[in-house]
Amino acid sequence: MAPDPDAALMLAFQQGDEAAFRTLFERNARAMVSFCHHFVRDAARAEELAQDVFLKLHQARGRYRQTARFKTFLYRIASNHCLNELRRGEYASRSAAPRDGEPSQDLDALPSSAATPEETARGAALERAVRRLLARLPESQRAALVLARFEGLSYEEVAQVLETTVPAVKSLVHRATVAAAEALAPFQAAPPQQEVLP
Amino acid sequence: MRHPTSDLTALVDGALPPERAEAVRRHLAACAGCAAEERRLRGAVALLAALAPAPEPSPFFAARLEARLRAEGTRRAGWLARLVALRWRLAVPAAALAAAALVTTASIRQARGRERAMAEQLELLEDYEAVASLGDVEAAEDVQVIADLDALEREGRP
Repeated sequence: MAPDPDAALMLAFQQGDEAAFRTLFERNARAMVSFCHHFVRDAARAEELAQDVFLKLHQARGRYRQTARFKTFLYRIASNHCLNELRRGEYASRSAAPRDGEPSQDLDALPSSAATPEETARGAALERAVRRLLARLPESQRAALVLARFEGLSYEEVAQVLETTVPAVKSLVHRATVAAAEALAPFQAAPPQQEVLP
Repeated sequence: MRHPTSDLTALVDGALPPERAEAVRRHLAACAGCAAEERRLRGAVALLAALAPAPEPSPFFAARLEARLRAEGTRRAGWLARLVALRWRLAVPAAALAAAALVTTASIRQARGRERAMAEQLELLEDYEAVASLGDVEAAEDVQVIADLDALEREGRP
């Protein structure tokens, strides 16, 4: 296994080095906010969730064992936390997908001001469609889709995070992508011909 | 080859082993239905990849986490202090309970020892009374002689 600087930092933190935790946070904060955002499609909520993840990481220092890459350990905490949050009724009502025509609550996710009004509108509509798609996917498919499609993890890494097998991940990602193809059909005017790697 | 529908997403993701990927590509070249499905999936993957990137963490993200960590530390320290205080408060009754249990156990052991000694004596006296009733024992000192004879009998000697 290649050297894992984050794992070394986590081990240092286990030995009481608080500065190592700060460095871990700085190295992974943006990725965690991004991951949580992909899960809940809400910027403010994503920050709250990402902070929860780092709090849990701080509390879990004693449980860390360097048997897998640190990234896997961190994404496992984050996935479990996001899934637990999604199961909570309170959050479900807050995260209900907006109806067509409603403005997106997540203004940060809109395209930049350099986009044309048509591109902006299309981007917002696509964002809403994806939010609706994620809201109705079964949790395991949602987690697999976010990890593989948005976070760029390999099927093997997703299997480690979700503590399942590679064939199971392949099936989950496939079913979620089929659902995405159906949900995003109106946006698929000109399907690309080139292979897209995750 | 059967329609490799369940392999199409993995093909798009480049996650199939090379031999399997090649076999699926050959099938796509000959099967319009599977080729259309593969294009549809590839299109969905491209749309998801084209979503606006996730927002940057806010400027106060790190400061808020620091505050939450401090609050969590204070809360845990408070719990720990309460736990220690509770342990001291429970220590005296617990020590008294332990001492009482020790005394009770010692008393029970002592009583059992006495009962065992009495039982042994009782058995010996019963033997003495049985022999005395035959008129063969004249003095209490003969009790020891009877005991020795009993021991020899248990060992198989006359």
